[in-house]
Amino acid sequence: MTNKYLDKHVLLRNKDIPNIRDINVYIAHGGYDALKKALTVMNPGEVTQVVKTANLRGRGGAGFPAGVKWSFIPPNVKPVYVVVNADESEPGTFKDRELMGENPHQVIEGIILCAFAVGAERAYIYGRGEFKNTFVPLKKAIDEAYNNGLLGKNIMNTDFSMDIFLHLGAGAYICGEETALLNSLEGYMGQPRSRPPFPAAEGLYAKPTVINNVETLSNVPPIILNGSDWYRRYGTERSPGIKIFSLSGHVKNPGNYELPLGAPLRYLIEELGGGTMSGLPIKGILPAGASAPMIPPEHFDVMMDYESMAEANTTLGSASFIVMDETVDMAWAAEKMVHFFKHESCGKCSPCREGNYWLEQVMHRIRSGKGTSFDIDLLTKITHQMTDNCFCPLGEFAVNPINATIKHFRSDYEKYITL
Amino acid sequence: MSDLVTLKIDGIEVSVPAGTMIIEAANKIGREIPVFCYHSKLSTVGVCRVCLVKVGTPGFDRATRQPILDVAGNPVIRFFPKPMPACSTPVSAGMEVITESKESLADRQAILEFLLTSHPLDCPVCDKGGECPLQDLTYAHGRGESRFEYQRKHTSPKKIPLGDLIVLDTERCIICTRCIRFQDEIAGDHVLAIENRGRDAKVVSYTEPKFDSKYSGNTTDICPVGALTSRDFRFKDMNKPGVRIWELTNVPSISNYCNMGSNLVLGTHVGEIRRVMPRQNELVNEIWLTNKTRFGHHFHSSSHRLTAPLIKENGKFKQATWEDALSLIATKFHEAGEHIGGIAGPHLSNEDLYLFQKLFREVLNSNNIDHRICLNSAIDDDLAYEIGVGIGTDIGQLAENSAIFLLGSDLDEEASMLYLRVRGAVRRGCHLINANGRYTKLDTVANTKLRYNYGSAVHLVLGMTATILDEGLEDKNFVYARLEGIDKLKTKLQAYTPEKVADITGIDADIIRQAARDFAKAENGIILYGAEAGNDTALHASIRNLALITGHVGKKDNGVTAILPHCNSRGAADLGVIPHRLPGYHPVADEIGMSAKEMLQPNHGLQAMYIVAADIVGEVVTCKSAIETTDFVVVQDLFMTETAKLADVVLPAKAIAERDGSYTNLERRVQVYDPAILSPTPTCWADWHIITAIAGRLGAEWTHASADGVMQEITEQVSLYKHMSFENLTKPISLERKRQHYIYSGMSFTADVREGVQWATRAENQASFFELKFIEPENDMPQSDIILVAPRVAYDGGMLISQAEILANLIQQPKATLSPSVAQRLSLSKGDTVQLTSSVGSVALPIAIDGKLPDNVVLTPRNLAGSVAEQLLDGHNIFIGVKIVH
Repeated sequence: MTNKYLDKHVLLRNKDIPNIRDINVYIAHGGYDALKKALTVMNPGEVTQVVKTANLRGRGGAGFPAGVKWSFIPPNVKPVYVVVNADESEPGTFKDRELMGENPHQVIEGIILCAFAVGAERAYIYGRGEFKNTFVPLKKAIDEAYNNGLLGKNIMNTDFSMDIFLHLGAGAYICGEETALLNSLEGYMGQPRSRPPFPAAEGLYAKPTVINNVETLSNVPPIILNGSDWYRRYGTERSPGIKIFSLSGHVKNPGNYELPLGAPLRYLIEELGGGTMSGLPIKGILPAGASAPMIPPEHFDVMMDYESMAEANTTLGSASFIVMDETVDMAWAAEKMVHFFKHESCGKCSPCREGNYWLEQVMHRIRSGKGTSFDIDLLTKITHQMTDNCFCPLGEFAVNPINATIKHFRSDYEKYITL
Repeated sequence: MSDLVTLKIDGIEVSVPAGTMIIEAANKIGREIPVFCYHSKLSTVGVCRVCLVKVGTPGFDRATRQPILDVAGNPVIRFFPKPMPACSTPVSAGMEVITESKESLADRQAILEFLLTSHPLDCPVCDKGGECPLQDLTYAHGRGESRFEYQRKHTSPKKIPLGDLIVLDTERCIICTRCIRFQDEIAGDHVLAIENRGRDAKVVSYTEPKFDSKYSGNTTDICPVGALTSRDFRFKDMNKPGVRIWELTNVPSISNYCNMGSNLVLGTHVGEIRRVMPRQNELVNEIWLTNKTRFGHHFHSSSHRLTAPLIKENGKFKQATWEDALSLIATKFHEAGEHIGGIAGPHLSNEDLYLFQKLFREVLNSNNIDHRICLNSAIDDDLAYEIGVGIGTDIGQLAENSAIFLLGSDLDEEASMLYLRVRGAVRRGCHLINANGRYTKLDTVANTKLRYNYGSAVHLVLGMTATILDEGLEDKNFVYARLEGIDKLKTKLQAYTPEKVADITGIDADIIRQAARDFAKAENGIILYGAEAGNDTALHASIRNLALITGHVGKKDNGVTAILPHCNSRGAADLGVIPHRLPGYHPVADEIGMSAKEMLQPNHGLQAMYIVAADIVGEVVTCKSAIETTDFVVVQDLFMTETAKLADVVLPAKAIAERDGSYTNLERRVQVYDPAILSPTPTCWADWHIITAIAGRLGAEWTHASADGVMQEITEQVSLYKHMSFENLTKPISLERKRQHYIYSGMSFTADVREGVQWATRAENQASFFELKFIEPENDMPQSDIILVAPRVAYDGGMLISQAEILANLIQQPKATLSPSVAQRLSLSKGDTVQLTSSVGSVALPIAIDGKLPDNVVLTPRNLAGSVAEQLLDGHNIFIGVKIVH
């Protein structure tokens, strides 16, 4: 019994099975059985259909159904590429790192299954620049897969062939945005592209491309192996399945926890996380790193699925919960996050480039005691001017920390106003 | 034609092709949506976010898939929750756009406020002030005050020189990336990029020398703020007090450096040219200018200009009156009788050239006239008269169904404006076959690259023609209706099948065949040929045949044209400044006169020579003795050239901006230029005026009082030019066309937009017949391991361009460029000197190394100081076998 909601790990199997990063251990525990099933008794359309029926939603943050994404790939345009978004850069998110480092073969198997489903012969794993240590076991696992006939020509002696390439970015948050990732992968500046065209039509090198998160693809092998009905037993009707929750901040037991979607937030923090280290009450929780509006105490009983989180005026995003106890000055926290977004804004569009800079300036002024109450309103106004006007979600999300903290913790700002 | 989509913008219905962006659809009905990053000539990026508008589409019932209607039966429009960028949102049927909704206006104000947080608003000391989109939009949509009270970008570096020509003020830049997109997409010189992220982002040039592009000046025009400015005009940066944009008087003119006849505006201030800006002509230069044209205007104000007639006495020039000079000339010309010759440069206007030939033919009774100084002028041919490019041809619109066969020319150097347009055509899907003996810049975009051995271009063309006839790809209707001699040609070409020419050309037979198919099958086809293809009648005949059998003649977007060297090479040929043809390509009735080549031989037998606007000695130093041995030489020019120094009488002419006139470009488009400034002294006369005066002294009763008066006579006398009245040539384009194309709205300068008039070729007449001609190619392949190739370059050693100090570092110095392996074989390194020896002469040159050059080629441009390459050439081709000795 892993926890109250899950009898054994489906994704973080490394927690149950020692040394599963070794291919022999992985195979001994049913590894690559899903691939064998897909290659021998299923056709690509059936694989996509199973993922579609399972309603596996993208785990990178947007929650878009993966099977639907795959089915957008036009049937007659070749080549098709699979790109794995391993640019896990959201503050407080560290699930993909554990998956790639500790259970890499499940990631690889998911990639191969995806490539088989969409007819791709090449997959690129775009990793965050700081992930060079994580890539060592992943690279080793890919080599093992090649040596075992699971990658390269005629995988498992079938007609299907494919290759996986690893690529490390140079350390830019924006490259987690899928089109910026594609630009960076092609050797251009990491800046987002206009959509349309969407990557499914014109992605990498202007060819149809599926971009999925590492965790999304790790879900595919168990889904193929056990079927969509099995998968839908977990989670809620509209948010089915299993999710990794990264827990950090002022909790006793930080780490990755695997739960079905729809599990209560309080369970994650109090039962699994052991509550706050200090024993002090929690002041606020960031549910998806810096990008999502903070959860105030009145919503601590929210269920962790896409719909319930939306009802609580926030998002599930990449499900990385940063817990802050009463000692935290929310103006200070917001300033940190504004600095982060200002630092990571790619500079392509005006509102994000200039807005974040301006926000940071005003935050500095308030926090250094030189602000007036006008400045708190000015912050809100600047965020309004950015909202809906930016080129990509980075600028749109960047306003969340400020708006939520001003809304719920305005007194933290006001205490700096002395003029 | 793509399907039309109908939508409503601010309640006005408009139909545009599917795929059009909202901003362009709005332009069509005169709604200008403000924008910085978008430019209709560039790709769309959607980054400035100023053009956000409210957009809605008709709602559809999910179940029935029928449009939802309101009680009145009108479709219910569902507006998107977010504002949409008009520059990058394509139209759709039934869409409704509100360009100035309350929300959009607030968004616009918001974005402008953001942009101004990183802009210094130093308009009083900014050269863009007065024609600055940021200024204009802030005036129209800004808040009027800023709530941003922090240190602005003032600390960002200012006045960063990007090469000699352009200055970057990073603190004014709003990162719209227009400059980068222009360089990447239009110019093909990838020299600019954004460095750093977020607010640290800035434009940088990463080439050495910085901003290394012949087209960089255009970025100062399209920069929507004052971030990129030209050193030439820059406020108080040069030695002159600055002038504000609104103080300029703007006069339409034509480039004297451009064989396409780029349209431009001379911005003048108290009788001086202060800047040159492009004037939009979608058929010629669109909205671009080369740096040579933009910055090369300084010869007008040069202190070295000739200001009065000079007469040589005892070896020294003495200032004279026009009266004395003209009398002396009349006397001496009269004495010389038939032993007189004239050379007129192809930079003269049509009016000058026409009167020049009239003076010789009607007053002096001589056909000894020419404009072709050795190889530097037009390739003599009838192709322009017979075929040319069809009237209305617009390379700026060529796209998927077209093919361009470029043979033996480096357009980037020899016809820079055409380079931009051909490159644009390729971007739109036009098929480019680029054939040359070496790498040229268009190879980077060419669909087919053919690398022939120098001297074998004619064989390549014959091989292609043979393929087309062999595979039945000829335009059968055209062949049947308008050609004669097809069977004879087929027989002759049996000796020139792709297999048979593969060896001599060095190109695989299958590749020749494929190129032939690509060209023949294209709906529209244009052949552009330059001097690197050769210069003989067999070549011209083969090109003519290829154009004819494919039917790529006599219609828009089809035809043939030579890459002529000068701004009015075409006009000089059209108006009979050649020894064997009268104006309009009529053969001379009497004896053919002497060509320039003959006149410049040592024993030419001439007693008098009249040289107008041609620095013969400067271009070909070996011609010096021919001029020295002539009894009486008159040189008419702007400067005391090397040729003028040898003259007995020197006459001061007016420069282009000081007078009016017209040029004919290589597409046969006649375009006029207006007078903009006064001459340095009233004693400088326009060339046509001087020629008229000389004719008068010799007894002619010419009554020309103005250039348009001369043109009036040309329209009456030369049927090719019958539509070229000044009235026609100065007619502004229609309002409708202007609305379709006009880009410069919002800029303060104004000048007429004209498109010029093309004359019709023989092929244009649908009743005309053509006889296919076959001329056996002589085997004049250079017999040597190493071939000297001497093409023209843009930054040559010409007298006019050398007056522009700002371009001084760009002028090429003579050198011999070799491939790395040749350099290695001869143990040469950069800076070493080699002795080049051909059958004609021998010169020493420093070397340069270029990895893109084939191993059998040494490159030495013509028209450089000292006319080094000319001393090695035999006056026939621009390539010749040489020996290299260390």
